[in-house]
Amino acid sequence: MAALMLVGMSSEIIPIAYHINLTVLAGILLGPWLSIITALIVNVMLALVGHGGVTVIGLNTLVIVAEMVVGWFLFGQFARVFGRRRPAVSAAGATVLALIVSTTLLVGIVALGGSPAATRESGAFNPATLSFANPFGGGVVTNVIVAPQAEQPAPKLPVARFAIMVYLLGSVGWLIEALITALIVGFVARVRPGLVFEGASAEPVRAPLGDEGTHT
Amino acid sequence: MLHRAVPGAKLLAFALVLTGVVASANVLVVGGIALTLVAVIVALRLPWRPMLLLALYPGIFGAIYSFAVATDLLSASLIILKAITAALVAVLLMFTTPYPQVFAPIQRVLPAVIGDALLMTYRSLFLLLEKFSHTLTAVRLRAGLIGANPIRSAATITRSLGGVLLYSIDLSQRTHDVMYLRGYDGRLVVTPQPSVSAWIDRGVAIVGAAIGVMAVAWRIWWPGLNPYAWIPPLVAMVLLVVALAWRVFRKEPV
Repeated sequence: MAALMLVGMSSEIIPIAYHINLTVLAGILLGPWLSIITALIVNVMLALVGHGGVTVIGLNTLVIVAEMVVGWFLFGQFARVFGRRRPAVSAAGATVLALIVSTTLLVGIVALGGSPAATRESGAFNPATLSFANPFGGGVVTNVIVAPQAEQPAPKLPVARFAIMVYLLGSVGWLIEALITALIVGFVARVRPGLVFEGASAEPVRAPLGDEGTHT
Repeated sequence: MLHRAVPGAKLLAFALVLTGVVASANVLVVGGIALTLVAVIVALRLPWRPMLLLALYPGIFGAIYSFAVATDLLSASLIILKAITAALVAVLLMFTTPYPQVFAPIQRVLPAVIGDALLMTYRSLFLLLEKFSHTLTAVRLRAGLIGANPIRSAATITRSLGGVLLYSIDLSQRTHDVMYLRGYDGRLVVTPQPSVSAWIDRGVAIVGAAIGVMAVAWRIWWPGLNPYAWIPPLVAMVLLVVALAWRVFRKEPV
């Protein structure tokens, strides 16, 4: 499932801008506990190819796990309301709400982060301080390292601006993801309904090798 | 040379350089690290075009984030450059080290199910990509994808993805059965790559440490060192020019 999520992420719907995640689909099929392992694996592999940060693997995993677990829970509730004959509708609703929750969690994490050092550049091109003198001329230790540090006020993080951008841009992605998840869940529910409604606990179907070759 | 270094040394260098990139708050220092990495790529005759493209991708999302939160142009540049440089370090590691050798140290500290899942996911990814590609080819041949009807094409592609999903579930079940028959006992063991030269390993670790220490020093003592922040990018530019000149001198295509 983690590999399928990575395949989905490599299929860009709108080049550079949007790609599908299949997180809610994976949550519906795997359930909450396997979702945690899957999210961690996906984030580790994405970080190693530069898509996503290595130092934020934990936070990314938290956000994706929230998406998967909320999606799984909401799909179960919507399936009770809309019945098993409309799994696509349940999946679409669960996807939109799960993505709203994960986006809100993302904004909350950024707000909790406060004013990280990244938003404050220490003055690389400040012409007042730029010097081409020999840095070791006056002694690096006494004049440079032991010199008293100047306090730099931290700027306020404009969380509202960030939230507006994320919700505006994200809403298009929510609709695309919901549509695709609904179509896939509808297809899988017709072909193998046990997989959708029983999830990971369903009895495995050992399908014989067909025309897919000799892969083991 | 980087290919011959032991994965542990490369992972250590990766962690140290990444620490430097994360800790730095000076756009010239981060730029110097980025130029140094490009010089390494050019000197080692690595495929720089796909590597740079992969590294530039997170810069797009860094640009969106910096537009939302940066207070001035330099801060925005710093955010974007840090995203690109961090990605470049990761891409350099993955282009010079086999995936199983990168996962092996991670596997030793993680629970067995996660470590094995990392290895199996890497294997399954290529199988599923091939399957998806073949499925789309078959659909295209049967006129399932028509440019004049994008909605029908989109629905067809989505159903193809559903078919690949079912294939992936069957594949994982069959793989587990086969591994169980062949004696899988709950943990896959990756044979570590032996060291070819201790000097190469030490050299890689020392260069990574030098970059990390330089960046952290500029972060800690920034009031005194910032006036000389032009030095790291200048040194990196010299290294890059030397690497390019060496390639041209040896008549190698760049």
